[in-house]
Amino acid sequence: MKEQAAYLSQTIDAIIAGLGSLMPELLLASFFLLLVTLDLFKSSTIKQLLPWLALTGLFAAFVLQLLGGYTSGGVQFLSLLRSDSLARFSGVLFSAAGIFTILLSLQSKVLEKLKEGRGEYYALILVLVLGLNLMAKSVNLLMVFLAIELVSIASYILTLTLKQEKRAVEAGLKYVLYGTLSAGVMLYGMSFFYGFTGSLNYTEGTFWQALLQADTLLVTIAAILVFAGFFFKISAAPFHFWVPDVYQGAPMPIVALFSTGPKMAGVIVILRFVAAFSDPAVASYFDDVLLFLGIAALLTLAVGNFTALLQKTPRRLMAYSSVSHAGFLLMALLAFGTNYTVSVLFYLTVLLFMNYGTFLFLQITEEKFGTHKLEHFTGLGYKLPFMGVMAVLFLLSLTGLPPLGGFMGKLLIFSNVWEAYSASGQVLLLVLLVAGALLTGVALFYYIRIPYYLFLKRNLTEEKLVISLSNKLLLAFFAVPLLVLFFKPDLLLNWIEKLLAQTL
Amino acid sequence: MNDFILSSLIFTPLLAALIVLLLPMRFQNTIKAVALGGALVQMVLAILLYFRFDGTAAANGQSGYQFVNKLDWIGFSLGSLGRFQIEYFVGVDGISISMVLLTGIVGVIGVISSWTIKKNIKGYFLLYLLLLTSVMGCFLALDFFLFYLFFEFMLLPMYFLIGIWGGPKREYAAIKFFIYTLVGSLFILIVMIGLYTSVIDPEATAAQLGMLQDGVANSDVILQVQQLLQQNVIEGANIVRTFSIPAMMDPANFIPGSLLHVLSGTVLWDLPIRFIAFLLLFVGFAIKVPSVPVHTWLPDAHVEAPTPISVLLAAILLKVGGYGLIRIVYPIFPDGGAYFSVLVGGLGVLSIIYGALCALAMNDLKKLIAYSSVSHMGFVLLGLASLTSEGVNGAIYMMFSHGIISAMLFLVVGVIYDRAHDRMILNFRGLAKRMPAYTTFVVIAFFASLGLPGFSGFIAELLVLVGGFSAPDITGMLPRWLTIVAVFGLLLAAAYYLWALQRMFFGKYWIFPELREKAKLSDLNAREYLMLVPLAILALVFGIFPHLLLNKIGVAAQGFTELVLRNGQEQLQMVLSTIVR
Repeated sequence: MKEQAAYLSQTIDAIIAGLGSLMPELLLASFFLLLVTLDLFKSSTIKQLLPWLALTGLFAAFVLQLLGGYTSGGVQFLSLLRSDSLARFSGVLFSAAGIFTILLSLQSKVLEKLKEGRGEYYALILVLVLGLNLMAKSVNLLMVFLAIELVSIASYILTLTLKQEKRAVEAGLKYVLYGTLSAGVMLYGMSFFYGFTGSLNYTEGTFWQALLQADTLLVTIAAILVFAGFFFKISAAPFHFWVPDVYQGAPMPIVALFSTGPKMAGVIVILRFVAAFSDPAVASYFDDVLLFLGIAALLTLAVGNFTALLQKTPRRLMAYSSVSHAGFLLMALLAFGTNYTVSVLFYLTVLLFMNYGTFLFLQITEEKFGTHKLEHFTGLGYKLPFMGVMAVLFLLSLTGLPPLGGFMGKLLIFSNVWEAYSASGQVLLLVLLVAGALLTGVALFYYIRIPYYLFLKRNLTEEKLVISLSNKLLLAFFAVPLLVLFFKPDLLLNWIEKLLAQTL
Repeated sequence: MNDFILSSLIFTPLLAALIVLLLPMRFQNTIKAVALGGALVQMVLAILLYFRFDGTAAANGQSGYQFVNKLDWIGFSLGSLGRFQIEYFVGVDGISISMVLLTGIVGVIGVISSWTIKKNIKGYFLLYLLLLTSVMGCFLALDFFLFYLFFEFMLLPMYFLIGIWGGPKREYAAIKFFIYTLVGSLFILIVMIGLYTSVIDPEATAAQLGMLQDGVANSDVILQVQQLLQQNVIEGANIVRTFSIPAMMDPANFIPGSLLHVLSGTVLWDLPIRFIAFLLLFVGFAIKVPSVPVHTWLPDAHVEAPTPISVLLAAILLKVGGYGLIRIVYPIFPDGGAYFSVLVGGLGVLSIIYGALCALAMNDLKKLIAYSSVSHMGFVLLGLASLTSEGVNGAIYMMFSHGIISAMLFLVVGVIYDRAHDRMILNFRGLAKRMPAYTTFVVIAFFASLGLPGFSGFIAELLVLVGGFSAPDITGMLPRWLTIVAVFGLLLAAAYYLWALQRMFFGKYWIFPELREKAKLSDLNAREYLMLVPLAILALVFGIFPHLLLNKIGVAAQGFTELVLRNGQEQLQMVLSTIVR
């Protein structure tokens, strides 16, 4: 009894000591509670206030993580979470994604008409961002699982926001089924790891030392099972089947969030997991896992790019585009021995701006003109020239052409892969590099179809239309960083580098 | 002035584009005037540069460039892997000066030719000016990254210019052009990444090592750094990687053990990796040249593009391909150039003959001229592959001369298309009777293009063929029969031009009945004279006084051949020796 009490007090002390490092999460959680409580009131003024409140919460978390200083670096929360600079930078990105989602939602006419559940909607965005933060901080397999589930559950409900629509229900159902299946598979894999090592702290050396004692085949199988769960979150093949349906059914701001937030968090989780392999002593033992990852990256790139070619609706096109970007990120994670973390974080930042920009453009056109098919974009570039030009910028950045941030992101990743190939001589890396570069040509073929309809095809009426000033400003807000990140990428790169150097 | 002239050349059209962007759509004449102004200023600057450029200055290594402007642009630390830096680095030498002059002149001609564009003028001139900026940037950039930026940025304006203002099948032609050139530039991108991870900037590395007194690097210090590098004693963190093309040209700047180092010994698919890099770059630029068999985008793009864009495409955009080969591929991979000379020369000859045969078979006048472009650009490859001073001079001269003459040819096609909305050769006969002045210019353009003595095309072809014939004796590069086959290209050129001339312009006047109502076959107007007369004069002037250009090119071409030959033989030995082992 006494021992237990001592253990309890120790634990409580540890929790209190670690609370400081969880400031952003606590902030988000309290705003979530506030939102849920206020949502109980029937007053319409209060209901109007909810999005702004959520925005405030996210913005506070954003500023907090941007400035830092709430944690003394590397503090462990019961060996479950680690608040290092990697988590801090990705936290900035997650908060930004949340803010952008709410900004897009405020512009959305569909969501404005929503009678019920507006409060839940904004509250759940907060939960999702909270979950993403926890994913990025987790250093314990069980915590990873919990964080992923938190994100998933919020995602399931957000997909169903427009529950009157049939496709939303279909999307929600498919998402839940695939999601629970992959979660189960992942948990199964994690249980293997626990069985081999007796520990869940996968960032510790002892964990990997213990794994080296176990049977290679079993470890490989367990690792692949765990990766199934991660791949589901970052929408990598062959766990991407939910993506097009969910992108088809969910409200546009939520699609934008799915295409960035969980993907970024998933990449951070994989990054932490794979970082252990970069130790040459361990790496040779995990050759098969690396081969699996390389093939998965190649498969994801190929599936994403080639399937996108066949799509006829903009949402599905963006879904496969999102898959192809997952392939790029996976490829980047394999460039051991280089400072790929910086490149990955840079790429994620660029991805954030170009995806939100594209989805804002799609939201505007879908609500105004019902652009459910690519043909519906015909001649819109002449009616709304500013929006048309911005759309071209976003799509070319997604393709990876200069002078836009997307090109810089790809250039950095390709350089890392080349460097890694040069050091290790692994042909797989060269194949990935060449495939990644050449598939950019394929990518151009489908991305350019939207500008093609916007500007090259004309319809008979050419009257000028207007979009609201706030929409214009928001489009410009997403586009300008893409140009800045091309012409002065070192501004961001040097900052990331400095940040990472602080604790690691 | 000297410091800024190159930057002004690049950015004047961009400035004009910004003004066009800010002007409201209804000020159509102002927009045209601004575009013309931008192009005119660029031309005046180009001509000024041409006269100020000192053609006698030696052009070896880093010191050969004139009017150099070098600024830090992007610098980033890679931790233990050193730093990488991208510079805004522009300069001009004997190879680029002719291209700069050509761009200046054709840019203005293109604006005048665009005067009749009616659809969406603001967008048109905006894209046109962006295109001029990026082409000029390509010719002046000495940093690979900067070059690549301009190289890729050319595609986008071109895609829209063909796709929006083009002919009936414009969408197909635009996307084909875009995809072809993009795939080419992706090959270039891969090699660019490989190069910058392998090459150091000796000057900046010296600064990093603290070997500089008063911040100036003399050649001793650079030599010292290069020796240290080759002995592998510089710590990773102190290495500064660079995209600078002059640095890449010096084999001593390659990091030992990097994949593209001559002694790396890495073999892929039974070829040394340096050869593969050469081939990738070659394919990338050959698409742009274009060389058979990757030329198929060109006829489509040309046929569908509006006249001024065809002019720009043929006269200056194709030259970026040839220029890239001379500026980047050969100096950086001279070993590949020496090893694959038969391949390059063979493709050149294939382009000459195949392009000419296709031209012979065409019924569409514009397609005929498009294929004649393929045929003539083949001479550039042949001249380059010979690696003789005459051949290289001829290749550069061919690019300039073809720029002038093909501009004229496409303008001439535009004249008949404007009037009859048709350009099928068989739909017209005896046009000379109706349009005597027009026929005169057609004859001049055709004869200039088929290489009649007295026109610039003759000088270029002569130089290339002399280079080709002397190559087996001097450089041991090409088998003689290749050049002999190329000579037949001249014969075929005469055939397709004269046959077209005979069918369309001579004989009794006749025009296809369905065209009669719409066609108003008036002779040339003042605007058309304004474009055609200067081009005809230029073709003559550079045909009669070739030294005007050769004086500027000569030293650089000589330096180029010496560098490529010397380094090429040496490095080829080294590369092959590592493989045998």
